[in-house]
Amino acid sequence: MDILLDATTAVFAPATAAFALAAIGLNFHFGLTGLLNMGHAGFMLLGMYGYAISTSRGAPIWLALIVAIAAATVFGLLLGWPTLKLRGDYLAIATISAAELVRYLGRSNSLQGLTGGSTGIRGSDFKFTFEELSPLPNENITILFWTNHGSLSSSWWLHIVAWSAVALFALLFWQLARSPWGRVLKGIREDEDAVRALGKNVYSYKMQALVLGGVIGAIGGVLWSLGASVQPDSMGRPTTFWLWTILLLGGAATVFGPVLGSMLFWMSLVVIKGLASTFIPSSVLSPVEIEPFSLVLVGITLMVLVVFRPQGVLGNKRELAFND
Amino acid sequence: MTEVFAEVAHEPGAAKQDPIVIADHVHRHFGGLTAVDVEHFEVQRNAITALIGPNGAGKSTFFNLLTGFDRPQRGEWQFNGHSLVGTSPAKIARAGKVRTFQLTKALNRMTVMENMRLGAAEQGGENFFKALVPGLWKAREQEITEKAHVLLHRFKLYEKKDDYAGSLSGGQRKLLEMARALMSDPEMIMLDEPMAGVNPALTESLLDHVVELKNEGKTILFVEHDMHMVRRISDWVVVMAEGRIIAEGPPQTVMANPAVQDAYLGAHHDSDLSEEDPS
Amino acid sequence: MTKRIDRRVMLRALIVLVIAVAAFIALGASGSPAIASTTDTVVAHSAALSNEAPSALTQDTTTVHATADTESSGVGDNRYVQQFINGIVFGLLLALASVGLSLIYGTTGLSNFAHGEQVSLGALLTFFFASKQEVSLPFLPVEFSIGWPLLPSALAAIAISAGTGWLQDRYLWSPLRRRRVSIVQQMIVSIGLSLAMLNFIQWWFGAERKRLTTSIDTRLDLGLFSIGQTTIWSVLIALVCLGGVGYFLLKTRTGRATRAVSDNPALASASGIRVEKVVRLVWIMATGLAAVGGILLALYDNAAAFDVGARLLLLMFAAVTLGGLGQAFGALVGSLVIGVAVEMSTLWIGTDLKYAVALAILILVLLVRPQGILGRAERVG
Repeated sequence: MDILLDATTAVFAPATAAFALAAIGLNFHFGLTGLLNMGHAGFMLLGMYGYAISTSRGAPIWLALIVAIAAATVFGLLLGWPTLKLRGDYLAIATISAAELVRYLGRSNSLQGLTGGSTGIRGSDFKFTFEELSPLPNENITILFWTNHGSLSSSWWLHIVAWSAVALFALLFWQLARSPWGRVLKGIREDEDAVRALGKNVYSYKMQALVLGGVIGAIGGVLWSLGASVQPDSMGRPTTFWLWTILLLGGAATVFGPVLGSMLFWMSLVVIKGLASTFIPSSVLSPVEIEPFSLVLVGITLMVLVVFRPQGVLGNKRELAFND
Repeated sequence: MTEVFAEVAHEPGAAKQDPIVIADHVHRHFGGLTAVDVEHFEVQRNAITALIGPNGAGKSTFFNLLTGFDRPQRGEWQFNGHSLVGTSPAKIARAGKVRTFQLTKALNRMTVMENMRLGAAEQGGENFFKALVPGLWKAREQEITEKAHVLLHRFKLYEKKDDYAGSLSGGQRKLLEMARALMSDPEMIMLDEPMAGVNPALTESLLDHVVELKNEGKTILFVEHDMHMVRRISDWVVVMAEGRIIAEGPPQTVMANPAVQDAYLGAHHDSDLSEEDPS
Repeated sequence: MTKRIDRRVMLRALIVLVIAVAAFIALGASGSPAIASTTDTVVAHSAALSNEAPSALTQDTTTVHATADTESSGVGDNRYVQQFINGIVFGLLLALASVGLSLIYGTTGLSNFAHGEQVSLGALLTFFFASKQEVSLPFLPVEFSIGWPLLPSALAAIAISAGTGWLQDRYLWSPLRRRRVSIVQQMIVSIGLSLAMLNFIQWWFGAERKRLTTSIDTRLDLGLFSIGQTTIWSVLIALVCLGGVGYFLLKTRTGRATRAVSDNPALASASGIRVEKVVRLVWIMATGLAAVGGILLALYDNAAAFDVGARLLLLMFAAVTLGGLGQAFGALVGSLVIGVAVEMSTLWIGTDLKYAVALAILILVLLVRPQGILGRAERVG
């Protein structure tokens, strides 16, 4: 029963929303345009840094958000400039390297004063502007089985804002995917030369998709940090790989795929950990081993999904994002 | 033979009465291998010109150069009096010169209708910000859809309009690619081996479509191996071998040119040049 | 595949290197004036570096690592020569892993993201056989200690690692190729595999750094620089292995077939080469070499953690891209350049940024010459 409760908590947690949002960004990249962005965590981290650093230096919340968005935009432009003219796997290697580069720089001692080095930025340094906006009472509130604070950290306020953002960007994806703009992106996913031959500036469209998806990832990063803290090592390669698992689990190129994928992903992690600690004796699987054990299952899930059900739960086999 | 060609000399690089494309000194080499070395080349407006030659003659490379998909080391070429040197494929397409591909590029996981709509020009909704406001592009989308209906009827693909392009047969994909190219009302259409992989049952209708395009006032340049098609529909034939243009002339006589026979027999014995003309 | 490394190629590599180093000096200078290359900061930096594993490391291993770093940058007369030599050593060991990555890419087109875990596996399997400490297997609640000498342990680890290469190709990659699963899908499968293997290794061995041998390496002072005795042996072993790969590719029938498959699989298949067999062999070789690299790197660094390979993966990609994707000899040159750049960079910027140098070089290469220093221009696009 506890597992069930924990699972439901995980489904609606702000972190789940943040990953759903980042996965929506990735969906613009991969689902619509076929771009292999393997450094999405880098966009998230830059968003977090942009938001947290500017807030801790006294910027109001709107300015901090703009800084986060601007950081992701510049990163996207810089990354796309050399790589979008090249074969897809170059983009994969360039993005994963650039994301790691951001993380290395962020955690390095030379930027300690700015980014807080490897310990990152504490929540109390940058969460207050968001928490002050909360219309909810400044106390714990219990709804059915769940108790959260009204305004602080993983609050009901953050729940509401995070899921509203997810809804908003899912709507944006839906609107753009069915627009002529989205049609050009889908065409590029299928065959960029054909689209070029039809008079569209493929490079510009790929850049737009890369930047837009990156910005959405950055906003996802900001939401994530509002429920936790800014920690560079939490945004390493595994985070990007989880996002891919989420996107492919739910279904690439679908509107609700990233949302469903994120919910399923976090719920399954909780359920696996819960079941493992309940039913497997600790002599066989000790508490510290449960985390890596469940992540082994995540890796295997990703492999099995890609091979046997690349369209995910919601996707359409005939409109698959993978090219032959 | 069409009368516009009556005065044209039967020699490589011959000047045409009303050229739409003019190319000069186009040179492209890969490493030490010269792929294209064309001194002068003109394409007559509102006519069907065939570009033929044995395998490895540089036809496809020349085709790619003319459409901006490849860049030569040197040379100049113009379309409708505008130089196209260094112009991107997209801009060349927008200037009114569109192409199809030898390996058909139907966008498999989009429907036939979406393929067609993508071919249209001047859809403001392809701009990111306008895409956010459907009111700004719905009207144009309606026009585009109506135009697509007309073309799909004409190319006998209307019943397939909601199917994914990947489910079409090879010939139907060729037709779709051609119909899609017509969505932007181009002046000139360049077909890269339009007959490759097409079911014989569809050949005739494809040929008819090409001739019809000419009757509408469009210019067609095509690369082809199928000599039957070349003889049937082309007004003028340009023969390439080893990167150069070695002969030009009307389809009835150009094959008799000794240089052409040498090029074919030397390079490719079992070419379909040896086939009897069925017409 | 290019057989000869001509002078122009080296010149290009040098230019790329100089630009990257210059860029990082500039960055380091503007980032923080506090980075003096005193021993104190080096210790602090390397302590921060070894803390990189998401899970916190035990204090004593951190100290061991830090002292080792201090030693290597403190001893020797000329720090430039010393770091250069360190870079060559590191580059050679890195090459063991990246040559395999490159061969796999060349023959199958796959960018194998799980290659880093093969490196970790080699190192930690050696620890498994050699350690006097109690070890266990996942899911088995018994602890035991094997405690073989280093050499047989290493050989067993290499054999098992090469075996995983065979297993992977036999039961995973070969079926995927037969099913005509697209290369992008295969790449994501390799990402899943990397995630699974990384966590499996952590589950098996824990998050702490493991030492393969307890003996302390004696350092030889050679005037301009000093070098550990074990390191000399490591370099010799690496040279023999790389020489073996070179001989195999250039002189043997199967090696020539491998290069033919890299150049053009369809043509190779048509001319009677059994592509699947070649690919199987490449997988066995690549995973075996990665294990050798992992073991030698663990000896060079004094210890190895479950994520050692994961952290090297992007350095391998940098080396492979620098050398030209799929070019085995390019990967060797690329690894040396990356190794030297990484080690030399610590003269000017913090050691916690040394891997960042490699990534910056990678991005720079993609910018200037995406086909790599040995690649051919026509291939890209």
